[in-house]
Amino acid sequence: MEAADFSHHTSRRFNEDLERVRTKVSAMGGFVEEQLSRALTALVAGDSAMGQSVATQDYKVNGMEVSIDEECSRILATRAPAAGDLRMIVATIKAITDLERIGDECEKIALIAARLATEERPEDHYREVKHIGRVAQGMVRDALDAFARLDADLAVRTARNDRIVDEEYESIQRQCITFMMEDPRMIRRALDVMWVVRSLERIGDHAKNVCEYVIYMVHGKDVRHRSLERVEQELKGQNTRE
Amino acid sequence: MSPSSWWDPLARAALVAGAACLAGLLIGHVALAVALALAVMLARQLYMLAQVRQWLRSDRVDLAPDAGGAWGEAIGLIGRLFRRKQYHKRRMLQLLRELRSSTAAIADGVVMLNPAAEILWFNRAAARLLHLRGRTDIGLRVDNLVRRPEFVEYLRSGNYAVPVIVQAGGLSDQYLHFQIVPYGAGQLLLMVRDVTQQARLEEMRKDFVANASHELRSPLTVISGYLETLSQDESIAADLRGPIDAMRRQALRMTAIVHDLLELSRLEAEEAAPTGEPVDVGGLLARLRSDLLARLSETRDVQIVIDSSDRLLGVEAQLHSAFGNLLENAVKYTAADGTIAMRWWRDEHGGHLAVRDTGIGIAAAHIPRLTERFYRVDPGRSRASGGSGLGLAIVKHVLQRHGARLLIESEEGKGSTFSCHFLPARLVPPA
Repeated sequence: MEAADFSHHTSRRFNEDLERVRTKVSAMGGFVEEQLSRALTALVAGDSAMGQSVATQDYKVNGMEVSIDEECSRILATRAPAAGDLRMIVATIKAITDLERIGDECEKIALIAARLATEERPEDHYREVKHIGRVAQGMVRDALDAFARLDADLAVRTARNDRIVDEEYESIQRQCITFMMEDPRMIRRALDVMWVVRSLERIGDHAKNVCEYVIYMVHGKDVRHRSLERVEQELKGQNTRE
Repeated sequence: MSPSSWWDPLARAALVAGAACLAGLLIGHVALAVALALAVMLARQLYMLAQVRQWLRSDRVDLAPDAGGAWGEAIGLIGRLFRRKQYHKRRMLQLLRELRSSTAAIADGVVMLNPAAEILWFNRAAARLLHLRGRTDIGLRVDNLVRRPEFVEYLRSGNYAVPVIVQAGGLSDQYLHFQIVPYGAGQLLLMVRDVTQQARLEEMRKDFVANASHELRSPLTVISGYLETLSQDESIAADLRGPIDAMRRQALRMTAIVHDLLELSRLEAEEAAPTGEPVDVGGLLARLRSDLLARLSETRDVQIVIDSSDRLLGVEAQLHSAFGNLLENAVKYTAADGTIAMRWWRDEHGGHLAVRDTGIGIAAAHIPRLTERFYRVDPGRSRASGGSGLGLAIVKHVLQRHGARLLIESEEGKGSTFSCHFLPARLVPPA
């Protein structure tokens, strides 16, 4: 894994620059995780105030994205990084876009949560949402862990979880349709739940994207739009060759 | 070097030289015999030196070359030195291992960080609580892996005096208590504790108090309402009037307690410190004074001194309740002919509000505990005066919410001064 080692550069400043970018991405990721967690809590606990506060905090995520983006451009312009360093900068620029989108989805969930909080809460309705929420949260966490650890194996495993989120999404969708047919008064709320689940499904996709950038960063392979099995096999082959 | 160690080999050399001399006399070539003998001796010495050198290079003490005499002694001494060092080394290693394994076994998570916040070492509990992984995470920055914004802020603030409690995230509602202790040359010791249980208990306590007081309120309203009516009913027999009056008074007291409990739990539930609006302190104090005087049957000497026209950033209702409680206390513990003075002023340290009375005062031993809930200096007395026992707890909470401090000075028999100190940032100068 030649890319994993950023530690020997002639310029210590360059090293510090790269490390600072990494830490900033982690901080942004941590904030996005927090937003997601609070948005889901607001929904499940029916806490309207928390939902509002998540929605008003989204500007911070945007600010972080802009700041990291500028930092990356500056490094590209002044340091002209190559090989692993270049891949890291490129992966970072892409990853923060996905993180920012996750932030946007959190905002959507939070706004719906704030609205739903004023209505009566369903008996156990949010159980499915909680479950898919947990999976999506785990994906975001693992994707960021993989990014911090430059752990391509974890990235592959995490990317595979996206399928669980997609399946959950399908099943909740079917369930909501059933609810709506049974009781037309439920349509509005079912639609709201659908939006939440849709957002969570998108969050899973974004987390998967981040995982793909990690694989790119570590192995220098672009694995977008490819089946995971093939990617895994190729990576294994590469590892044994090493 | 002791003489014997020097004489011994010298004597041996002399002996050999003497023997060679004798042999030389016998065969008639003295010089040749002596030279030969000395050459053999020198060769032996060189050979031993080479042996010892090889032994020392080999790093194995047990393979010491065999030798007698001075060489044997020297080799033995070197071997002893070696073994002693190894023994100490083993002991140190063992000690270190024991230390590590005991640190690894403690229930709290421990992470050692270098000045750049990179992980040097962590124990099992830390791995479990923070989801750290064996060797791969050594050398990574801790805030890349533990990303909760509150923790990251705590780590970067450089001010580790107040530990942070962070909800571990997800829907898991696990609470982690982080404390950083700097040690050595800029290194940091990060300690993590799972405080979910405590946090949950605290949550339950708050919920219980809030719910219980809320539920008690409506029955109390009914009881005191009827008692009020009964106490004014002319047709009630005279011997029942006393008990009914007592019941009415106690019901009112209970209402006051419930009211204060609710207020306290509201204050606790509030999230961050309120920014609030600029509050005119002078006007607030004047209102408190006139409300109080209207309520009391006798006249009291309550003075207000306003030395600053700065307004105070805060939540007016909360400040009203805090200052009101201070005034109430002062009146309660001051004789009718005593003086109560309230003063509002500012200096470079911020804004200050002091309530001074010439009352009975408080013994120094009680002062630190005054703001505890239901703490009584003199149980009989304060209960008779109808307090809820929560007044100063409310004051403390309100001041905490406003980033202010409460200072209590008192002398028994002479009077007390309760002062609130607000930060300069809370002051709004007059336009």
